[in-house]
Amino acid sequence: MRKFSLVEFSVNHPKLVVILSIIITVAFMTQFPKMKTDTNPKHMLPDTSDVRVWNDEVDKTFGLYEDMIVVGVKNEKGIVNTDTLGKIKEITGEIMKIKGVASRDVNSFPTITNVTAEKGTLRVAPLMTDTPKNEGELKAFGKNLYDNSLFLNRIISKDGKTTAIYVPLEKGANGKEIADRIREILKKESGDEKYYVAGDPVAKDTFGAEMFKLMRVFSPIAGMIMFIVSYIMFRSLFLSVSIMAPAMIIIICSMGLVIGLGFPIHIMSSMSPVFLMAIATDSIHIFNEFYFRFREKKDRKAAILETMKAVGKPLIYTDITTAVGFASLLLANIIPVKVFGLGVAFGTLLLLLLSFSLVPAILTFINVAKIERAAGREDAATSRTSILLRRLGSIGAYRPKATVAAGAILFALAVFGVMKINVNNNLVEWFKYKSDVRTADRILNKSLGGTSLGYIVATAQEDDFIKTPEAIRYIEGLQRHIEKLPVVGKTFSVADYVKRINRVLHDDDPQYDAVPETKNAVGQYLFLFSMSAKPSDLDNVVDPAFKKANIWVQLKTWDVQAMRDVIKGINDYQRSNPAKIELKPSGIAYFNLVWNDEVLWDMIKGFFAALIIVFIILVFNFRSIKWAIVSYVPLLFTILLLYGVVGFTGKDFDMPISVLSCLSLGMAVDFAIHFVSRLKQRLKESQEPLTDALLWTAARPGKGIMRNAMLFASAFSVMLFAPLTPYITVGAFIVSMMMLSAIMTIIYLPALITLMQGWLFKGDRQNGKQ
Amino acid sequence: MYRYLIVLLVMLLPFEVFAINAEDVMKKSQAAFLYQGKDFKARVIMKLISKGGQERTRELTMLRKNFGEAGGAQKFFMYFFQPADVKDMTFMVYKYPAKDDDRWLFIPAINMVRRIAAQDKTSSFVGSDFTYEDVSGRDIQDDTHAILKEEKLGARDCYVVKSTPKKGDVDYAHKLSWVDKGNFLPLKEEYYDKKGELSRVFTADEIKIIKGFPTITKRMMKNLLSGHRTEVTYSKADYNIGIEDSLFSERYLKQPPKKWIE
Repeated sequence: MRKFSLVEFSVNHPKLVVILSIIITVAFMTQFPKMKTDTNPKHMLPDTSDVRVWNDEVDKTFGLYEDMIVVGVKNEKGIVNTDTLGKIKEITGEIMKIKGVASRDVNSFPTITNVTAEKGTLRVAPLMTDTPKNEGELKAFGKNLYDNSLFLNRIISKDGKTTAIYVPLEKGANGKEIADRIREILKKESGDEKYYVAGDPVAKDTFGAEMFKLMRVFSPIAGMIMFIVSYIMFRSLFLSVSIMAPAMIIIICSMGLVIGLGFPIHIMSSMSPVFLMAIATDSIHIFNEFYFRFREKKDRKAAILETMKAVGKPLIYTDITTAVGFASLLLANIIPVKVFGLGVAFGTLLLLLLSFSLVPAILTFINVAKIERAAGREDAATSRTSILLRRLGSIGAYRPKATVAAGAILFALAVFGVMKINVNNNLVEWFKYKSDVRTADRILNKSLGGTSLGYIVATAQEDDFIKTPEAIRYIEGLQRHIEKLPVVGKTFSVADYVKRINRVLHDDDPQYDAVPETKNAVGQYLFLFSMSAKPSDLDNVVDPAFKKANIWVQLKTWDVQAMRDVIKGINDYQRSNPAKIELKPSGIAYFNLVWNDEVLWDMIKGFFAALIIVFIILVFNFRSIKWAIVSYVPLLFTILLLYGVVGFTGKDFDMPISVLSCLSLGMAVDFAIHFVSRLKQRLKESQEPLTDALLWTAARPGKGIMRNAMLFASAFSVMLFAPLTPYITVGAFIVSMMMLSAIMTIIYLPALITLMQGWLFKGDRQNGKQ
Repeated sequence: MYRYLIVLLVMLLPFEVFAINAEDVMKKSQAAFLYQGKDFKARVIMKLISKGGQERTRELTMLRKNFGEAGGAQKFFMYFFQPADVKDMTFMVYKYPAKDDDRWLFIPAINMVRRIAAQDKTSSFVGSDFTYEDVSGRDIQDDTHAILKEEKLGARDCYVVKSTPKKGDVDYAHKLSWVDKGNFLPLKEEYYDKKGELSRVFTADEIKIIKGFPTITKRMMKNLLSGHRTEVTYSKADYNIGIEDSLFSERYLKQPPKKWIE
């Protein structure tokens, strides 16, 4: 067969193979200088995606900004005092000088438009043109602030202790950089005030930047850990290096490929080194078997060839299933996800190639004397690990029914847990509870209307319709309806301006805090307002033709579920109040919802595709549907248990977890493939009874499985110490998946095979006899 | 005529740089731009055009009468035709030097005249890219002026004057004006914001001589940051038509005389 000739070739010309590998690696490395990075999670959806096109259109129609930073100022003694107000004025002025800030539309005390009536004079002007200096001025300012319902929960909290500065960003500005500049400005202030910087761009851009930073730190650390752990396992520096070499090569080549194809390194692909490193641990099966074989044969070359004969087939299939798991991401609509899938799948297949060429070649350089000493400890009968594994295997082999029954109970529990899974995503919760980003968000959401922003766009069938009292009342009704939702902290629209002006024109009589009776009145009020207000004040809530209106909805949480609730609220309102106005959601909160659903759906699609393909590969591998089903069990069981735990702990099924589900499939099945392949080989080679063969498999290839799982898990355990929760999730998920699937394989496969031996071996035995 | 004589003399002088200082240029410019004639009338069409190309139109008759010298008090009367739902709305401004304006607005839907507080002069005029100050002028002594250079703008020789507000109460850091050496009209203005970026640009796009007065009949203000722009066209412009003082009263706000507004 061809693959054996490759191994033989490599063993016979090891230097050539090593040199070739280096040349290829260097060739891929030449692409590195072309590397571009993209830290914006928003770019996961292409510019042409429906939601981005729609959001851009809405932004354009209403002169809105895609991104807004919210700066909170809190003073436990209250905001309305000369000192604090002076600081707010100064800070606002400083923020407006930052490049990338849309200064003309910064909203804060000194800039937000207020409509008041003073001694019969109508005043449309910024709320605080000068800092109030004395008691009287402070009192007047306080009255202006609290009297205008447009301000409550937007720029002043109910308790009067918190205010916000809304900082819109020009298109393409980096939220993290601007947030950092703002923090610098705030650092210079002293006093009782506390400052908080929050908002979607802060979270997203900070996350993007942190992610890259983490990857730069974690990839080498994961590599070091793998190196150390493999040294502890094999007590040979040479072997540890041999394990790391293929890992490094596939990382370089896979990154080189992605860069060479012209894709920027996005958040997803920045994770691929750690994944590839973990996948590379698959080659450990070669070293594991080599130790046993070398101890038995004492001949280097023969040991290599025999090793490859024994582990070759399972290696091919495990790598292919892993590659399929990642390749399933190619079905995704989201380009960075595709790129990630492509890169890792490529790396995995390259690893397969290296396993049959470079790894055997390296093994020929091994120092025989040293390896003898190290291999001396490797005896499936006496080594401590092997004894433990044999015991584990015997649980299943000797008490199959009890084992399976226990499994059934766990299974039922897991199903129950899975049913409790809550699909949600919250960008801000990707940061740790005590992180600056999350703290700022929590404090502001507690006292003000909310840092997450969504819009509802109302579109009428004809121009000028929004000026009709009917339309204004419809919009007002919608606001009151949506505000009943606990997640909605504040809404405002053109209706609020109309009512405010009506009241102010009628000497601040609360009775006139209502929509006027005629279209002309609405039109004239709005005109009057536009005569003095900032152009954006009106532009933000109505289009120039008065055919569309934009309702601002501030949400108290970044949960995508919140926007889903709002959409449901809109639908309810439309059903009970039919009108000639169409309502559509928009804004960043809506974007996050669509983005989340899209990723989730992509992942679920990929998951089922991988599930089917992996099964087909298993059938092909074992030439038996029965064996495919049996080796499928540890995989399914592992995944089910993990999701059961997710359901029970109440952890949201969010984007990182959904990405993992795809990947886990291809990896969790590996151990079962090794186990079943080697068991069947053993049964064919030695004529020992099934139970003995099972225990042998648990002890010897089982050791390879355990080593693989340990190495894999140790590499990923680094992530548990990350400051971002998705990393912790990914780390915890992968570590437990590897350990679980290893244990499942070693305990449950013997149990199932023992129980079902009649069914499983029916065909085989007949074949054997004939 | 005296003015022109000076200009002529200045142009004949070899040391012309020293002949006229920046403040004088701006004073003359203000007079030529905003104080021409005893009174003035025009039908004004403003097109407010958003970045996306959407238009809003404002159409009004503007009447202006001077009370005193250039730089002194003025009264404005505006009657709106468009948008349709604000038809019959009228707006009156008494402008004083070095003091806040008085403003009144008649709101036909509720048949009421309301005084409107003069606020920030740099706020938008009827939602356009022009500010109140752009429409009615800024006090010369509020800024320090310097002639940066003299250069041709198109075919016209201009002074380029940099005006820097003495107080930071406006939303720009400084302004550059290209003032025509011949008629002293501002042909172009550039406003720089506090980040040093060019934020707004004014251009005089058509100049006609009406009753001997060079008058900007088409102008544009473009906000480079928001992409929004406003185009203004004056038609039926006329000077010295004999507007009575009594027009500028609350009574006529409610019932503007047809002969003036048509």
